[in-house]
Amino acid sequence: MVENGIGASLKRKEDNRFLTGKGNYTDDINRRGQTHVYIVRSPHAHATINSVNTAAAAAAPGVVAVYGGQDLIDDAVGGLVCGASVTGKGGEVNKAPPRNVLTIDKARFVGDPIIAVIAETLAQAKDAAELVEIDYTELPSTVSTANSDADGAPQLHEECPNNVALDWELGDKAAVDAAFAAAHKTAKVELINNRMVTNAMEPRAAVGEYNSGTGDLTLYVTSQNPHVHRLVMSAFMNIMPEHKFRVVAPDVGGGFGSKIFTYNEEAICAWAAKKLDRPVKWTSDRSEGFMSDAHGRDHVSTAEMAMDADGKFLGMRVDSKSNMGAYLQLFSVSIPTLFHGFLLAGQYTTPAIYLEMRCVMTNTAPVDAARGAGRPEATYLLERLVDVSAREMGLDPAEIRRRNFIKADQMPYQTPVVQCYDSGDYDASLDKALGMADYDGFSARQAEAKGRGKLRGIGLSSYIEACGVAPSAAVGSLGVGVGLWESAQVRFNPTGGVTVFTGTHSHGQGHETAFAQLVTERLGVPVENVEVVHGDTDKGQFGMGTYGSRSLPVGGVAIANACDKIIAKGKKIAAHTLEASEDDIEFGDGNFTVAGTDKVMNIAEVAFTAYVPHNYPEGVEPGLDEIAFFDPLNFSFPAGAHVCEVEIDPDTGTLEIVNYTAIDDFGVLVNPMIVEGQVHGGLAHGIGQALLEGCVYDEDSGQLISGSFMDYCMPRADNLPSFNVDYSPTIPLHNPLGVKGCGEAGAIAAPPAVINAIVNALDIKHLDMPATPEKLWRAAQAAG
Amino acid sequence: MDLTGEYRIAASRERVWEALNDPEVLKASIPGCTELNAVGEDSFTASVTAKVGPVKAKFQGQVTLSDFDPPNGYTIQGEGKGGPAGFAKGGAKVTLIEDGDGTLLQYEVNANVGGKLAQIGSRLIDGTAKKLAGEFFTTFAEIAAASGAKDAPSPSPPLTPAVEAAVASGEAAPEIPRVDADEAAAQPTAQQVDAVAGEDATGEGLPRWVWLTGLILVLIGIIAVLGGD
Repeated sequence: MVENGIGASLKRKEDNRFLTGKGNYTDDINRRGQTHVYIVRSPHAHATINSVNTAAAAAAPGVVAVYGGQDLIDDAVGGLVCGASVTGKGGEVNKAPPRNVLTIDKARFVGDPIIAVIAETLAQAKDAAELVEIDYTELPSTVSTANSDADGAPQLHEECPNNVALDWELGDKAAVDAAFAAAHKTAKVELINNRMVTNAMEPRAAVGEYNSGTGDLTLYVTSQNPHVHRLVMSAFMNIMPEHKFRVVAPDVGGGFGSKIFTYNEEAICAWAAKKLDRPVKWTSDRSEGFMSDAHGRDHVSTAEMAMDADGKFLGMRVDSKSNMGAYLQLFSVSIPTLFHGFLLAGQYTTPAIYLEMRCVMTNTAPVDAARGAGRPEATYLLERLVDVSAREMGLDPAEIRRRNFIKADQMPYQTPVVQCYDSGDYDASLDKALGMADYDGFSARQAEAKGRGKLRGIGLSSYIEACGVAPSAAVGSLGVGVGLWESAQVRFNPTGGVTVFTGTHSHGQGHETAFAQLVTERLGVPVENVEVVHGDTDKGQFGMGTYGSRSLPVGGVAIANACDKIIAKGKKIAAHTLEASEDDIEFGDGNFTVAGTDKVMNIAEVAFTAYVPHNYPEGVEPGLDEIAFFDPLNFSFPAGAHVCEVEIDPDTGTLEIVNYTAIDDFGVLVNPMIVEGQVHGGLAHGIGQALLEGCVYDEDSGQLISGSFMDYCMPRADNLPSFNVDYSPTIPLHNPLGVKGCGEAGAIAAPPAVINAIVNALDIKHLDMPATPEKLWRAAQAAG
Repeated sequence: MDLTGEYRIAASRERVWEALNDPEVLKASIPGCTELNAVGEDSFTASVTAKVGPVKAKFQGQVTLSDFDPPNGYTIQGEGKGGPAGFAKGGAKVTLIEDGDGTLLQYEVNANVGGKLAQIGSRLIDGTAKKLAGEFFTTFAEIAAASGAKDAPSPSPPLTPAVEAAVASGEAAPEIPRVDADEAAAQPTAQQVDAVAGEDATGEGLPRWVWLTGLILVLIGIIAVLGGD
């Protein structure tokens, strides 16, 4: 067993710099001659822009330039793009209304960027921005997910009649109708998946810098995927050819999906830096982040289940709408469809599923992937419906789940909604979770709480997600415009140290530690001699970045494969040096050994030989530096069972999570401490959605009225219990490392566990998120 | 946002109307008001700048009168644009009612704010608007009194017995219900009330007292911005 390899809870290498203030974030980057850009945004949800007068702003002290959308168009800069084309009903591909970097004709949401003011200082840019005169004609706005496709609703884009970007269906409608016709009982729930603002601790930022001597452009940017940023800005926006364009995503303080996308402000910094031949910097303030970061979730759905007399699921029907906001972002339409519909089977054998999903445009900020991205919506809908079904049948929620689980011996299991699960033992997870949570003892605890005047409830969530995004051919056939492989380079230095380049990006996930452990496990090099490099297109060869819990299941395998190439080459070198046949060389614990002898050569010696090839095998290239690309054969399917127990004070509506047990199946754990941290963070995210967070636009005015931490409540330590976290692993068929991904699980699993506990405590059918004290108090009063 | 309120002012309805009739007094009463110009018989523009802490906002306000029914009431529509800070706009129905020897000024405001104002200020607006309305009346009385004490710009008409009586009984200060402004500071002397009356008489007779309600809309916006960031 290699020390500090796979399975070691090694403390994170990166924390030294983060905890001592030595992190280097985009806003820490300041370049000589730097200018600052401030964005003038629409205060209206929907308005025609009649005229813009920037003369006074341009003449203000310190102003370098004032740009509008036409200036970028005149420079042949393209608009922002949606990278997914999803085919809906009747073979119709989603509408993709164009979006200029700065809007010209119409403002379509509060915060829509219109004018960029660039000045010597940020204060001067802000002062000048106040002098920009924009004459608007206000238009009626529509923000409602449920009603924006109604007749007579204000129209956002000519390209999207009735504000419908995509009308999508999935599954066998006739089979589902037949299942309902034959059902012993049916269950139905109408629910809202509340809109979220991800609120990464570090706001978005960008610094563009152009070198007119070389013609090279550099963009420092808060990105989860710097190569994708470069690709989009080169291929679709025509800002700079890829080979003259470097994108650096340095330390990034949290992404949660919102930093996948290419944003207007980033494009302005890149383009204007070249235009002005001066660095241009933009840093979002928190208020701008609330109104301009891509939001997440925002579905309204009706879900129905048909059951036989034993509570076996016969068919499921979902009618749903999702809010896309005012413009499509990079993934937008793919999230409520491919990443949502394909997960609706959950852990169950439901044979027939039919989903109708309408993606609607509204006068709100764009909505796209946010931690879990479609899978939290699917899991919440399904796990709520399962509990309502149990209620209809008079069955215990654990029992109805067991009766419908896909069994471990049925793996691999083809669901009726595209995905084929390759591993999982859902009974095992649930049994372990129920045991740890003392499910059997709940009724006694409930009775004891009642004696204290408290309402106690328990809720389950048996979730599954599709991670390790994603097999390129599969997503390509579904309309995703890129391949989703990952690459790695493992480079031995002559003195034996290893530099690992990955195309994934770490913004809180601990890759620098976990990936080093992977290399240590594979190559036997001490973990302190392994350095992981990411986030710079000039360093790593290429990569698709970090999202969809893909970094380890896809990027990690690429690293392992590059290590295997190193070993293969090392065997040739060792065989030559040790005067043995290559076939007789064995590798383990960092040593090449001639089988059955004590002749041995350490990998560091092999590396030195590779760079100083005085005595070297014929036909072998010098150097020890290998690149591997890995395209997964399937998604990975992390799954698990979570149990939440709550106590509600009916007099005040306050809620305490008194116990939270998470049993997850992530396959092999590389660093269990980091995994547990990811679980904790995900649970905080999910519990935040269930209890506290909700992004609200005013229905009449279209104004964002939850645009600060005063009105948008983020979870804090005192909202959360001490979590009981454990694992019930199964090994995936398709992943060479046996890993599944863990970064999104908590955010996916927690919301239904919490709400199921609440409705259990209140003995009601349903309560929409966020379950604020006011809602809980009203529900408790109504329930008597 | 909906906001209703009323103030009892210890002067006759005609006097209140006239006392609120001088643009210069109004301009001086509104914190940060740098311009106040009539742009027609029933509309005016105002510029209000305020800076507290890191946030500065300059509001260009425009207020238009309608349903003009002197001296009983008005409907006004107002809008204040604050550039990147957003906007405040809305309407107000203002009614003056005789109340013994004083006057009740009642208003019903329906206002909308947008942009950053709505984003970070919507929760603050009701409370700050009430506080702001109170502060406006307090300051208004102070300034009017002070300017009258020094050099009243034009001859003062005789006080009516009603106003004199109110002053004598110490009730001339505007009563500000449900606000915590420092009312003590607003206790005017007989001389101050005299000055107010004097300003009334020199006004151009346009019913501009209603402007204050419109300006309150603008001020609500400013305070919301300042209070929220």
